[in-house]
Amino acid sequence: MSPVRRGESLPIHNRIGVLRAERGMSRAQLAALVDVNPQTVGALERGDHYPSLDLAFRICDVFGLPVEAVFARQAFTPLSAELYPRKP
Amino acid sequence: MPDVIDRYRDYRTRRFLKYERTWAASLPGWRPQRRRRLLVGLLAATFTAMFAISVLCAVGIQWAPVLWLPACAVFFPLWIALQIVSGRQGDAPEAALDEFEIAQRDSARSVGLTVTQYLMLIPIFYLVFGSVLTGGTDENMAYAGGLMAVTMLLVGGCTPAMLLGWSRPDPMPED
Repeated sequence: MSPVRRGESLPIHNRIGVLRAERGMSRAQLAALVDVNPQTVGALERGDHYPSLDLAFRICDVFGLPVEAVFARQAFTPLSAELYPRKP
Repeated sequence: MPDVIDRYRDYRTRRFLKYERTWAASLPGWRPQRRRRLLVGLLAATFTAMFAISVLCAVGIQWAPVLWLPACAVFFPLWIALQIVSGRQGDAPEAALDEFEIAQRDSARSVGLTVTQYLMLIPIFYLVFGSVLTGGTDENMAYAGGLMAVTMLLVGGCTPAMLLGWSRPDPMPED
């Protein structure tokens, strides 16, 4: 996890792994598209590293999605559950 | 002046990338984390031996300085191997790394600097107090103090690469 100078450390969750799998994209392919090491993509997916705004935008550009669709403060629910929620 | 610094940075980055291309596939058997940790452990053992040799020199054992040669003969291959398998991330120029690698490198370097500062106090105090107590007449003390200082500088200089080699996980398998 990236060091935080002060204040409460708030998590940044992401959907990189899901979006990558959905597109049949390997970590190495995503890494090449955003110009980082494949291990860095692994670190992002594990939550070991929170991306800079620049890297976050580059990742969002690859998936063609807005930042809030890829990164969030709250843990993401499964995409399928969001698309097809259970009716009460 | 900034142009000179920029040109040097570019030169360093080009040289680093050339080195990386040359050695990227070398020593594949030593790249898994378990083997890298073995290299780090062996390096730590070598540093311990170097410090022990300096202590032997301090107490005046005549053949002790000769032991420094085999210690160096063990140190250099271990150090070069660790640098190759860890991709020299500890002393890589910024332009050759991504943001996560830069954060890891800077964190490891920070620890390395702290380790160097504290460890260097050992030979410093040994020489300062020793020279006062002996009136500066003990030749063994100067030689042993020099060896201790070299050992501590080696430990501090190698600490970033050792930390990165130890902590960097193996690549995650693709799903």
